[in-house]
Amino acid sequence: MANGGREALTPQAARSLVDSVDVFIFDCDGVIWKGDKLIEGVSEALHTLRSLGKKFVFLTNNSRKSRKQYAKKFSKLGMEINEDEIFTSSFAAAMYLKLNNFPTDKKVYVVGEEGIKEELNLVGYESIGGPEDGKKSIQLESSFFFDHDKSVGAVVVGLDQHFNYYKLQYANLCIRENPGCLFIATNRDSTGNLTSLQEWPGAGCMVSAVSCSVQKEPVVVGKPSTFLMDFLLERFRIDVSRMCMVGDRLDTDILFGHNAGCKTLLVLSGVTTLPALLDPSNSIHPDSYANDMSHFVQLLSQ
Amino acid sequence: MLTSRVISPSFLPLPPTASTSSSSFSSLRTILSPFLAKTQLSYTRTSRMASSLTARAAANKLENADELIDSVETFIFDCDGVIWKGDKLIEGVPETLDMLRSKGKRLVFVTNNSTKSRKQYGKKFETLGLSVNEEEIFASSFAAAAYLQSIDFPKDKKVYVIGEDGILKELELAGFQYLGGPTDGDKKIELKPGFLMEHDHNVGAVVVGFDRYFNYYKVQYGTLCIRENPGCLFIATNRDAVTHLTDAQEWAGGGSMVGAIRGSTQKEPLVVGKPSTFMMDYLSNKFGISKSQICMVGDRLDTDILFGQNGGCKTLLVLSGVTSLETLQSPDNSIQPDFYTSKIADFLSLKAATV
Repeated sequence: MANGGREALTPQAARSLVDSVDVFIFDCDGVIWKGDKLIEGVSEALHTLRSLGKKFVFLTNNSRKSRKQYAKKFSKLGMEINEDEIFTSSFAAAMYLKLNNFPTDKKVYVVGEEGIKEELNLVGYESIGGPEDGKKSIQLESSFFFDHDKSVGAVVVGLDQHFNYYKLQYANLCIRENPGCLFIATNRDSTGNLTSLQEWPGAGCMVSAVSCSVQKEPVVVGKPSTFLMDFLLERFRIDVSRMCMVGDRLDTDILFGHNAGCKTLLVLSGVTTLPALLDPSNSIHPDSYANDMSHFVQLLSQ
Repeated sequence: MLTSRVISPSFLPLPPTASTSSSSFSSLRTILSPFLAKTQLSYTRTSRMASSLTARAAANKLENADELIDSVETFIFDCDGVIWKGDKLIEGVPETLDMLRSKGKRLVFVTNNSTKSRKQYGKKFETLGLSVNEEEIFASSFAAAAYLQSIDFPKDKKVYVIGEDGILKELELAGFQYLGGPTDGDKKIELKPGFLMEHDHNVGAVVVGFDRYFNYYKVQYGTLCIRENPGCLFIATNRDAVTHLTDAQEWAGGGSMVGAIRGSTQKEPLVVGKPSTFMMDYLSNKFGISKSQICMVGDRLDTDILFGQNGGCKTLLVLSGVTSLETLQSPDNSIQPDFYTSKIADFLSLKAATV
């Protein structure tokens, strides 16, 4: 596929894609919505795909909400999506711990928001940190000693708008001093369309801050890691080649698709521009690209 | 039913960052092209240069202090872990410095700690009973301002600071306009619909250093400047992973704040603090001394000793700070100073032994 990523999706290729795929995996920020605004034409596009008998799931690296909270967001935007059709990096972090038999008598320190805490609690883990620690500060008098809970066995780092030095230092001490403490990142996206008007720093920022102070790399559970693909395969029991990842970011969504072995479609409605895709320094190429979801579906009937 | 299994880290690949950094490097080169001499190029690299070029012999335990002292004209001392720990002076320091001065040695103090200005450090030295002139102190806060001066950063452009008072003071002294600093630590953002963060399009450089008031607002502000203001520089005072802010424990260092901005911009900064040789070049130019006449004394291998090696001067590691003998001699360590000793006061005791 010599020119694969450099070719815009044509009507024929769009039809061929839809025929060869049973399940579409949609990223959310920059594909379905931007902040709290639905991207134009998305509802209709999803409706069309459903009428063609296609199934879908939503796979987001945004760890700020839990699956339940995302279902509520969909509902507010006029779409009825079940919480088990949604896979978040917050869910991934909780599942990673569960599948690796993380003991329930150990705690998890969260550098992140409610979504992570909620998913951890759902699988029976006690979490500390999170938004409340956003209010804490440190005093650097010579006698001050920063204490930390020695029973923390894992630190989970994700997008955190309440990120501050207190949390950074807490995470630093847990990872450095608690024997065997895990360092888990929900994802490492550099930025995201967290509001409809502009991009904002992503989890990549918090994760890099912690990684630089502990001098260790984290285990990444969100895209482009294929950890969540196992859950999708379990759910649908089809060949991975019959799935297509639709996303707006090359180094998470499209790389996830490559790593997992499914088809990939890039939409230009989010963080990636056409010049960035076509730039010679870019080495990640989707099978094809379209302007947005609405454009993709329009091509089917052309 | 999903079965339990260990999912090894190798199964979970990390996203690449190489693809965007090469284009940002080339734009930095364009900005720096007026003086792209060999030494200046080293400011954009943070990888281990000198130590990978030649295989170095294992460090020698310092036995003959006199020989080392007589072979150099200038001693550059790191501060945390060498002169003091937190607010406590390390044993024997005043007498050692006095002895070196009496032998006609020039003393310079170079610290990556950007929280104070040279003037404020001068006061710290004074409080601890050491007579050190402000002109002998080079903090990474000063280095950032000096760097901007060296490239003729326009006075009508602004500098956004993710860092503390020391950086602000040095920028002010050098005549640069700044925004940000500690007061932005009180600013909060709410990711609500319709919210747009504005930023000053006149910011031409973002300086990032240790910042205990670090928050999401500052990260976004710095990121917007770097991504959207054409030619905006991304300067790091230093990249230390941890720092001894109090004598009781280690604290996340300036490397974390720099890491956060690297994470959101996917760009590499220009580093002005150790191990970049910027401060070494500045000193040798200012005092007219050659690098072979200098001995760098520090407690950290990947900043102090690498700084000395990159700069081409002698290096002495002291074990009174963050590095233990075990770490120095570990097979994982590739940075070997010329000498090591337990603390700088050994200059006095080792001298006595050879009489």
